[in-house]
Amino acid sequence: MELLEAFNQAEQILSPWSGVVTHPSTDRMDVTIPDKWLKAAVNALREAHWGYLSAITGLDHPGSTGPISEEQRWQRLAADGETSTEDVTKEGTLEVLYHFCSGAGVLTLRVSVRYSFPVLPSICNLLPAATLYERELIEMFGIKLVGTPNIDKLLLPDDWPDGVFPLRKSFHGLKEEALKGQEVKK
Amino acid sequence: MTEETGSPRKFIVPIGPQHPALKEPGHFEFTVDGEIVTGASVRLGYVHRGIEKGCEQRSWVQDIYLLERICGICSHSHATAFVLGVEKLAKVTVPPRAQAMRTLFLELERVHSHLLWLGVAAHEGGFDTLFMYSWRDRETVMDILENLSGNRVNYSANILGGVKYDLDQKQADEIRKGIDYLEERTKYYLNVVTTDETFLGRTRNIGTMSYDQAVALDAIGPTARASGLARDVRVDSPYAAYADFPVNLVTETQCDLVGRFVVRIRELFESYRLIREIIEHMPGGELTTRVPRRIPEGEAISRVEAPRGELFYFLKSNGSDKPERVKVRTPSLCNWASVTHLAIGHNLADMPMMLAGIDPCFSCNDRSVTVRKGGESQVWSWEELRRYGIEYYK
Repeated sequence: MELLEAFNQAEQILSPWSGVVTHPSTDRMDVTIPDKWLKAAVNALREAHWGYLSAITGLDHPGSTGPISEEQRWQRLAADGETSTEDVTKEGTLEVLYHFCSGAGVLTLRVSVRYSFPVLPSICNLLPAATLYERELIEMFGIKLVGTPNIDKLLLPDDWPDGVFPLRKSFHGLKEEALKGQEVKK
Repeated sequence: MTEETGSPRKFIVPIGPQHPALKEPGHFEFTVDGEIVTGASVRLGYVHRGIEKGCEQRSWVQDIYLLERICGICSHSHATAFVLGVEKLAKVTVPPRAQAMRTLFLELERVHSHLLWLGVAAHEGGFDTLFMYSWRDRETVMDILENLSGNRVNYSANILGGVKYDLDQKQADEIRKGIDYLEERTKYYLNVVTTDETFLGRTRNIGTMSYDQAVALDAIGPTARASGLARDVRVDSPYAAYADFPVNLVTETQCDLVGRFVVRIRELFESYRLIREIIEHMPGGELTTRVPRRIPEGEAISRVEAPRGELFYFLKSNGSDKPERVKVRTPSLCNWASVTHLAIGHNLADMPMMLAGIDPCFSCNDRSVTVRKGGESQVWSWEELRRYGIEYYK
């Protein structure tokens, strides 16, 4: 019962911003949030003292095409009207899950960004403990977090090549020359 | 090491990766004003092995063994969090005897981990006698674990749908004997860390984290419980057999390093009680149930209270025999934030104790060397160091 109450409360807190609300299991609640409302939603949870930030998970959903630039997108929109929305969904997306735990319940805020514009606001000024999770997200998935206090490498080596994000599905190991360190220039 | 950013001059003391305090690699930079720390930052990754990515290329069964090797101290917690998540995805119910065996291993692991920590922390405080005592006594629980599973570190007790090892009467008697001995010793330790004046000098009012700070920094595990924050997954969301063998939550209100010592030692008593109870009321029945090779599509979240705090697993299956994504958030990662915030205002000499206070585990989480050259600091990459080494020894 406590669980149900907590989820009802969370639903109420998040109601101004939330999209789809689902309950994958009795102890979980997933809420999709548009990226522009992420900070507002996190702040509302924080002010209501709903649970604590337990983890940030990144997920890669590779689409059938590479990144689509804004220009290409508009061109396609202009060219074939409705079918273009499907085209856009073919572009890969990165999903970021913010897991908040309260008692037995886990509330997950799900935010998606497109490959061509992988930018999210940082939540570090609201929850200072998020900095390490955000650093991990930056180097593993290549998501830009606007306003995060520290973007130094946390886990990967200092000479790791730029633009290579190991937890994306397209990553299958570094090429020979990178392993030999020939790409390293200082 | 100096860094000139206008005036006044900042002094940065780099510590690690070959750490003087912890026997594991981590790099810290403490900005100091005289002896007082004014800023702290952390760099991890020296033992980063890409296990999350590796999991995506291996089968669900192979992943148990890979994930168990994330950490040599809380190996069973990792494997348990993973198998509990997979069993949720596969919608199988594990026999009660298997869940009780898992819980028994979890508590024995907590005992060995807390005793290990007690030794390391005592060593950091310059109290090597306590370090030797606690590690000698820790061998008792290591022998119990070896007796049960054949292994001292990676017990490999879990399989999908159950456990491999059973408990017989002879083993149960040996566990009881060992626990009786450890309980006596633990009483002695509790007495030492709360009364030894020299040791209290290193722990009292050091690294104080108030209840409000613990909430703001999302602290977990014994670090949070020492600040009065009642957060324990075993109590909040009982998994394995914790619903049948409830845990009495241990919290302290000292908020400093003394509190963190006392919380962990009192948790040892609670673990002894649980271990005895599990052996006494071990449910009968099977040890395993069948789990399909292909795990149905879906997502699962699995949380386990590891010795250092909440261990968080997020699993995603695409319906094949390999996971789509395995996300591991280890307790140490959560607690780093508390150290880098609390360090400010303390003496540099207290840093080793504060670092040890959260019981950090680097393998849980995961190259550079700063060399002073004519007054300016420079970070060398691994490749530069390698070339320098080759040139030097030519």
